[in-house]
Amino acid sequence: MRDRSFAPTRILTYLVATLFAAAYLAPLLVVVLNSLRTNEEIAQSSMIGWPQHMAWGNYALAWSGFCVAETCAGIRPYMLNSALITIPATIFSTLLGAVAGYAVSLWRFRGDVWIYGIVTLGLFLPQQMRLLPWTIVLRDIGLINTLSGLVLIHTIQGLSFTVLFCRNYYVAIPHELIRAARIDGAGFFRIFWRIILPLSGPILLVTVIWQFTHIWNEFLYGVTFTPGQQQPVTAALIALSAAVADIPQHGVQSAAVIIAALPTLLIYLFGGKYFVRGLTAGAVK
Amino acid sequence: MTSAASTATGRPATSAMVRRLPEYLMIWVPLLLSAAHLISFSIWTIWISFTPSTLVPVAGWVGLRNYNAVLASRNWQIAFDNLLLFGIAFVLLSLTTGLLLAILLDQRIRGENVLRTIFLYPLAVSFVVTGTVWSWLLNPGIGIEKLVHDLGWTTFHFDWLVNRDMAIWTIVIAAIWQSSGFAMALFLAGLRSVDSDIIKAAQIDGAGPIRTYWRVILPTLWPITITVVVVQLQFAISAFDLVRALTNGGPGIATQLPALVVYDLMFQRSQLGRGAAAAVLMLLILLAVLLPYAAWRYVRGRQAAHA
Amino acid sequence: MPITTTRRRLLAGSAAALALPAFVRAQGAVKPRLTAISQWSAGSDGAAITALGKKFEEKGGVGQHSPVPGFTTEMMNKLRAQIIAGDPPACSQLKGPEIAAWSKIAPTVDLDAVVAAADYEKVVAPDLAKLHKPTGKWIALPLQIYSTNMLFLSKRALDKAKADKPPVTWADFNALAEKMKTNGVTSPVGTGGTRADDGQKFEASLAGISPAVYRSAIMNLDKKALEGPEVKAAFAQMRKLTEWMDPNVGAQPYATNLKRFIDGDMGMLIMGGWAQGVLKNAGFRLDDFIIAPGPSDNGKPVFLLNADAFIFWQRKEADLQAGQMLMAQLVMDPAIQTMYSQITGSIPVRTDVDLSGEGWSDGQRTTAAALKNAMGNNQAVLSLAHNMAQENGLTAAMIDVFTEYAKNKTIKPEEAVARLADAVEGAR
Repeated sequence: MRDRSFAPTRILTYLVATLFAAAYLAPLLVVVLNSLRTNEEIAQSSMIGWPQHMAWGNYALAWSGFCVAETCAGIRPYMLNSALITIPATIFSTLLGAVAGYAVSLWRFRGDVWIYGIVTLGLFLPQQMRLLPWTIVLRDIGLINTLSGLVLIHTIQGLSFTVLFCRNYYVAIPHELIRAARIDGAGFFRIFWRIILPLSGPILLVTVIWQFTHIWNEFLYGVTFTPGQQQPVTAALIALSAAVADIPQHGVQSAAVIIAALPTLLIYLFGGKYFVRGLTAGAVK
Repeated sequence: MTSAASTATGRPATSAMVRRLPEYLMIWVPLLLSAAHLISFSIWTIWISFTPSTLVPVAGWVGLRNYNAVLASRNWQIAFDNLLLFGIAFVLLSLTTGLLLAILLDQRIRGENVLRTIFLYPLAVSFVVTGTVWSWLLNPGIGIEKLVHDLGWTTFHFDWLVNRDMAIWTIVIAAIWQSSGFAMALFLAGLRSVDSDIIKAAQIDGAGPIRTYWRVILPTLWPITITVVVVQLQFAISAFDLVRALTNGGPGIATQLPALVVYDLMFQRSQLGRGAAAAVLMLLILLAVLLPYAAWRYVRGRQAAHA
Repeated sequence: MPITTTRRRLLAGSAAALALPAFVRAQGAVKPRLTAISQWSAGSDGAAITALGKKFEEKGGVGQHSPVPGFTTEMMNKLRAQIIAGDPPACSQLKGPEIAAWSKIAPTVDLDAVVAAADYEKVVAPDLAKLHKPTGKWIALPLQIYSTNMLFLSKRALDKAKADKPPVTWADFNALAEKMKTNGVTSPVGTGGTRADDGQKFEASLAGISPAVYRSAIMNLDKKALEGPEVKAAFAQMRKLTEWMDPNVGAQPYATNLKRFIDGDMGMLIMGGWAQGVLKNAGFRLDDFIIAPGPSDNGKPVFLLNADAFIFWQRKEADLQAGQMLMAQLVMDPAIQTMYSQITGSIPVRTDVDLSGEGWSDGQRTTAAALKNAMGNNQAVLSLAHNMAQENGLTAAMIDVFTEYAKNKTIKPEEAVARLADAVEGAR
């Protein structure tokens, strides 16, 4: 099967792959093309079309021009807000998840199966349901309307995913390795630092990619728990698409969508290979 | 807590405990916080579902009134039926799409890196954007149908988005576009970890490629398939942003889904008690999916232990 | 504790007399500051709130606006979170019966003194005033008024149908739509496909058939009226509207198709005055379309009232209190209301503003005249589709019925009547 012969099946393989690739790329292509068409041009024909002349101005407007109420600074400040929420939350949830996953998989302690089970159940708890309880928690610890509050939420909620994937990855590590290190007198952190962390590249990439995209793209908490100047980029995107009091600005909106998606797209562009590799390395067990 | 308990057990233990305090903190604090928030939020929601809460949570007891109201509402009934259809269709189709893509990529074809990136990139896009863009493409007035009409084929018809019998399928399409890459990645990971000796043995036995896949390789993918099914089912049950941006439950209320109903009741209609009841019903649906999965894992774990 | 009329009047008078100097003092001592939450982030709404903020700052205040883009639900989430946290904004967007509902969960500011000082009450429509003083005290102030059933007519579509007069009754409207259809107007009724759009179709139908029944059925939820022949007739009229609409709008907002409306490919819009602001912002000319009161079978204008408002939440900080008083004074000011309405296309809350000036359009003058006329004939009613007639839970349950009816042409009017009654029962 995995031969390099030139056979009809081979042609079929390429044909099907190309068709699927085209279908997957089509929406992106439409958005890219629209980001280069003026709002009027789109309104006069359809959402799908070739730009008559490149309207690069859409990008300038999207980046630093359009207004959200009285602030006319485009998407730029919101990108920064999103970065301030996403980067720390991704780091914390990944690191804490790695340590916890390591403890659950390689150290075994009383109650580990139970707590691990409960934590991973968190993947399935709908986030709409958690909105009000989080409001009460943030109020009680005084973090409402702060970016720290959001980082806390995303760190704790993110653990469900990171613990699950790290634990599944670490169970594949031979116990003998740990046992030997313990006999040599190495402690919990020393083993983690010297043995586990160097082996963790692929899985940490998976969790970083996953966490980063999810937190970056989050809207509900981001808009509820921040004051106006600190809202995430998704809020600015929604402001652009809220056409109730406005003629649709599909051109600028498309440009903003592209800019806002760049960080996550780049991560998949450069990390996609490692994503599959990380999953291959044991996370699928 | 840890130090208090250890003081009673004597000095040597105390010092060991103190020495190991940082590691206990690192292990237990995150896990306990995570578990505590999940348990307490769930209990809180269950409690609210029995109260007369409207705009904000209030104490009180109304028995099953909220549940009866939710179960009797057209919105919930439609949402539940849709969930069955959408859940099954989406999971099956995204499973087959993901598997097909993974097999394609596994053929050592040229441009594998590019193709893999193309199939994976939708995962990077937010649900809101996916919903919005697909609502452009699928809208017959401004999207694909309009384009084809403008090109001259005026009898072309593709109006699923505004057709209340077909609209749920537009959500299936957009959801598959967005998430089949994840299924592909998992399957590809599975295919790549199949022992090449088994494949060689099959080939020596004279099995063709299709036969090899069907008889030898695919059976080894069962555990991964289960993982994919569970992850995708979880996606189907909690699908929210995507649906809101794509159809917002319409045309009419034809594409309501439980997550939409929960959010709508809790926050738009100011019927917090009913919204919580709907959320609890959603949790019960989730449990109905997860319990068999947990049981399966348990049995498999036992078998592995015996082997 | 009965209080005699004289005593009450005396109290009110002295409160007003006291309030003003106190307010002036407060303003002198601290810089007025205002924290505000609204969903007005884009388009003419965003422009208007920004202009209002500028005026606030010109008067020496510091404005801190948190726009919550998107749907009203997210704005309410934010407000709810702030209230639960014990940190409500000094003022926030809220409208209709929701003002009464929300005022029960957190203390609001008693604006009676500042309203009395401006002698404001007598220039506000009584039905509207009632919504903003749910327990008898003013706690919220309306910013602007729309009628959700104004009829926008495309000049080019009228030309195609060789008509020059806007229709008065539903029969006229139906005849004109038919004429447009036969003369090449693809969709005689233009629309968006959102829930509010479908709600507007129904409320315009019923209020046009009988404002009295609208009042008892929709505003007072009288069971007999809800199941009466007028409601059935309204569903039948709505069915006609849906037949003339473009089936392809999906869930797109009405603004997506404004160009087709101007081009005469869509004939008539039943929409609030905000569409004028949107058309103007989009660069279309005011003489491309005509605005007339919505169809009314008794020939006299029916006004489906919709008003945006600010509710003021109690704060201890002196600067916020000063800011609240300053904002309250501003939104009652005829000059500010003029500025606001001229940006958005609404009409002022005050019934004593002169609309003959240059900044006003014919459409706005028509709307203001319709309001005056409707009030005189008791034909000004509250809009359901825009959350003025009932609390959100009931409103949404009723709109479920309208939106399903609009998109499912197999539902018969009598079936819809039964479903509406059920929905009201179930949501109560």
